[in-house]
Amino acid sequence: MAQRFHAALAYGNGHAACDQLSEETASKLEQQEGRPCEKAILSLKIPKGGTVAVRRVEVTSAYMGLAEGSADFLDEGPDGWRISAAGCEPVAADRPYQCQLEG
Amino acid sequence: MRRFLRENSLSIVFLALFVAALMGQAIAGHADFNEQQVRHGDPTVTLGRYVVSSEFGVDVMENWQSEYLQFTLFILLTVWLLQRGSPESKELDKAGRESDQKQKVGAYAQQNSPRWAKVGGIRTTIYENSLLIVMGSIWLATWFAQSVAGRVQYNSDRLGHHMDPVSWLAYIGKPDFWSRTLQNWQSEFLAVGSMAILAVYLRQRGSPESKPVGAPHTSTGVEG
Repeated sequence: MAQRFHAALAYGNGHAACDQLSEETASKLEQQEGRPCEKAILSLKIPKGGTVAVRRVEVTSAYMGLAEGSADFLDEGPDGWRISAAGCEPVAADRPYQCQLEG
Repeated sequence: MRRFLRENSLSIVFLALFVAALMGQAIAGHADFNEQQVRHGDPTVTLGRYVVSSEFGVDVMENWQSEYLQFTLFILLTVWLLQRGSPESKELDKAGRESDQKQKVGAYAQQNSPRWAKVGGIRTTIYENSLLIVMGSIWLATWFAQSVAGRVQYNSDRLGHHMDPVSWLAYIGKPDFWSRTLQNWQSEFLAVGSMAILAVYLRQRGSPESKPVGAPHTSTGVEG
């Protein structure tokens, strides 16, 4: 899921990338940027292409750390796993990551 | 059958109460969990999924471990510690592991004593501590299970707030683990301590947990 998302960004395929986002995250992005998700997503500083190096799944939530250095957070909903936050970097221990994209 | 039920009524009734209370906890916990899910706009879960979730698991295990710790400590400490006037205590001159003769082990075992009490050696050593070993092992196992289920739940919450998950070793140093643990321990210690003291002065006619109603407050180790 996370690799598909980053690969879609690498190919400039905003539509495919947005398909991997949770409804809430895609909708928040559109509100913030004032344009459709598939266009707005390509302008964010999220790794274009990436390999998942650390995968931690806890029930209906997951953390995917990319070899390239940032991390994504996923949630499992009725439509399967979707990305709720991407391009996330740690700020300090026991603090939420700072994310380029989050719902 | 009737005789069997009567002679085992204490364990049967407590087993039935346990099953009923656990089912009640599952039903109430499931309803509460789904209320929270709805509040946060998250999907609800079935009862079947809830009872195998870390949410339910940690709630059950944190209570189990504290109960088994309570009895483990009570079994162990009452070997040496005394409470004057309490039926929960041994008589004041009997502190300690007591003699083989008094404990009916080895050469002092009776015809109908359990075999491992008679044989001596490692088997008797194990058998004479078997209650403590089993209760203590259940305590450690359930405390470990609490830590495993607690970590899953803790990490789910962290991930929901876009924080990275923690390892098991890191989790057992977290306040969440110790808060869950100690909130249960304190209530168990209070209950045992207050029982030991209240039973000095108060009575329940017919209960072996109480002294006979007319027994003086000073008599220790006497059960009704």
